[in-house]
Parts: sequence; structure tokens; C-alpha cells
Amino acid sequence: MARRKKKSVDEGEVEANLIPVMNVMFLLIPALLLAMEVARFAAINVSPPKFAAQSDQKEEEKKKEEKPLNLKVFVMSDGYRVSASGQQAGADGGKAADSTKPTIPLAKPGSDLSDFDRYNYEALETKAVEYKRLFPHETVVTISAENDIPLQAIIKTMDALRGRDCTLLNAVSAGEEVPAECLFWSPIVEAGAG
Amino acid sequence: MSDHHANQAAQLAAQQAAQQAFLAKKKAKKAARRNNDIEEGNLNITSLMDVVSIIVVYLLKSYGTDPVVITPTAGQKVPMSRADAPIQDGVPVYVSQRSITFGSQRVVQLDENGDVDPTQVTGQLIGPLFDLMSEEAERSKQTSASKDEPWEGTVILVGDVNLKFSTLVKVMYTAGKAEYSQYAFCVIQLGG
Repeated sequence: MARRKKKSVDEGEVEANLIPVMNVMFLLIPALLLAMEVARFAAINVSPPKFAAQSDQKEEEKKKEEKPLNLKVFVMSDGYRVSASGQQAGADGGKAADSTKPTIPLAKPGSDLSDFDRYNYEALETKAVEYKRLFPHETVVTISAENDIPLQAIIKTMDALRGRDCTLLNAVSAGEEVPAECLFWSPIVEAGAG
Repeated sequence: MSDHHANQAAQLAAQQAAQQAFLAKKKAKKAARRNNDIEEGNLNITSLMDVVSIIVVYLLKSYGTDPVVITPTAGQKVPMSRADAPIQDGVPVYVSQRSITFGSQRVVQLDENGDVDPTQVTGQLIGPLFDLMSEEAERSKQTSASKDEPWEGTVILVGDVNLKFSTLVKVMYTAGKAEYSQYAFCVIQLGG
């Protein structure tokens, strides 16, 4: 009986056509690059005035031992007016406030409002350090400004009041304690607090 | 004399023969080349594919880890700060020098001085913005309730460097009225 010969099958390698996949990948790269953050964004958490009294219990207990600082910084077109415990720093003798004079005058007098370096941020930070030394558990500061003050100046003011060595990354993301270098890191933004 | 002519004729014939031979050889080469199969250039793209795949996965991962994607509006300059706290989950409100944008919708136009149109403001409340934010707050409250999670109304204020304090206060007041109780100013991290 004659045996039928099996047909020899070519077992050549079948290569997948990767070009369409590559096309999709090359389109995805610019799309994702465009959607990605070029700059690194961060956040400054701000409280509205009604939350001024809110804080955790431990801090509240510590604060009970101290007289409240009630630090307020008013950003004016000619400088900062800083007041604590209802007393404006640098006011004329016997007066609680002296609206004619700022506590910290401008670093660049006569400069335009759009010049964000016109304020004396270093002097403000020094003032904050002084207050922090007297009230080590105080973290809250109320910030207000005149209507025309630009946001960048407010942000820089917050930076100065928080302290240049303050890092809140671990405190916010990992729940660690706020470092001692942080001065007044919990700002309240208020209209017309001056 | 006749010898000289004969020599010249012989030289010419030799030259013609050499040229013919050269042309024939060239023709033969050309024919041979034409008959040869064209070799296919096989590009190996597997390694390139690997590299591209790694890049795509990296980009997708970095895209996916951001809780909120901040895309400032055209012409908006976000303030710079030394703050390093990460942006928490929240609803972004973009306030440029010319408009207020909420949820990819331009809600209010600002005038050339950066003030909100007085017809759209009642006291400190910006009407159209309040309506949209209230709707969004209701929606997200329902979503949180269905997940049994407490609702934290957080607003991320993405302002312009030149945004006036008066406008900022109006936006914050409006957000507060729409039951958003936590605020964060979005900044570009210096040196980040």
C-alpha cells in the first residue's frame, strides 16, 4: 500500500506588523507631553475668616496658656501695616493704630504696583520671626490688602510670613508635624482687615 | 604614404573595436543588474518599540498621579512661590486678567482694569459663577454620598499674577456661598 507523502509546510517566522502600533505610540508621546505639567504646581492652603477659630485640640490647649497673638498684616500700596493683639507695630505712642504710616515701608518707594519686589519681604519675615519667638505655638496670620494689590504680592507676603526655610510637603502629604522653621503658615485671607 | 594610411586605418579600427567591447560589457553588466532580485531592506523596529513603550508608560504614569490637572487659560501667568505643599483634590477656578473660567466654561468677563462687570455682582457675590459652583457642589455631594465619603468642598484658585485683591475676595466669597469651605491658591513652585 502506497503511503501518501505529507505535504511539507513552510514554517517560516511570521513577523507582526509593528508600524501601525508605532504610529499610535508616536502620536501618544506628544499628546501626553502636552498634557503634562511643564512647571511644578504647588498649593497654599488658605482659610476663610470663619475658620479662624478652628484648629486641633492639642494646639488649642497650648494656646490657652498663651494670650492670643491675633497677628494681622495689611498690604497697602505704600507698605505693610502689621498689628498684633490689636496693637499696630510702630504706631505713634498711645495709639492702637496709625493709619498714616505703614509699619514696614516699601523696599522700592515710588515703584509701580506691577513691580512685585517693591515690598520689603525680608523686613516682614524678620518681624514674623520676632512674633514667633514670643508666641511659638501661634501659626495663624490674617492677611488683607487694598483693592488694587496684585495676587503675586499677596503670595510673596505669605511666603515671607511662612518663613524661607519652611517646608510643608511632609506635613501635608505624610501627616508629619509641621517643622519648627515654619512661622505663620496658616493664612486667613480677609477683606478689609486693616 | 600608403603605409601611413594603412596604419591610421588600423588604429581607428582598433579604437572602434575597443569602444564596442566596452559598451557591450557595460550593457551586459546593466542587464545582469536588472535581472538581479532587489534585496529588501529589513528595518528592525523592535528595540525602537521598546524605547517608545517605556516613554509612553512613564508619561501615562506621571499623568495619572496628579489629582487635579491644572491647565491655565491662555495668557494667564500663575504666581510663583516658595510653597511646596502638593495640590489636593479640588475644583479649579481660573481667574485671568480678562475672565473667570470654571469647569472649562468662561463664566464672567473682566474689564480692562481686572474688575468684574458690576451688573453681574450683587454685593460681593458673582452671580453666574455662584450658579455654576452651586450646581457642581450639589453634584459632587451626591457622588460623595453614594460612596459614603464625607464631602470636602475644596476650591483651587488659579489666579493671575496681576489679579486684583478685590476680585480675588469676590471669587472667594462666591465660592464660600456655594458651600466650598476650603481654599488653595495654585502657585508655580520656585525651583521646582
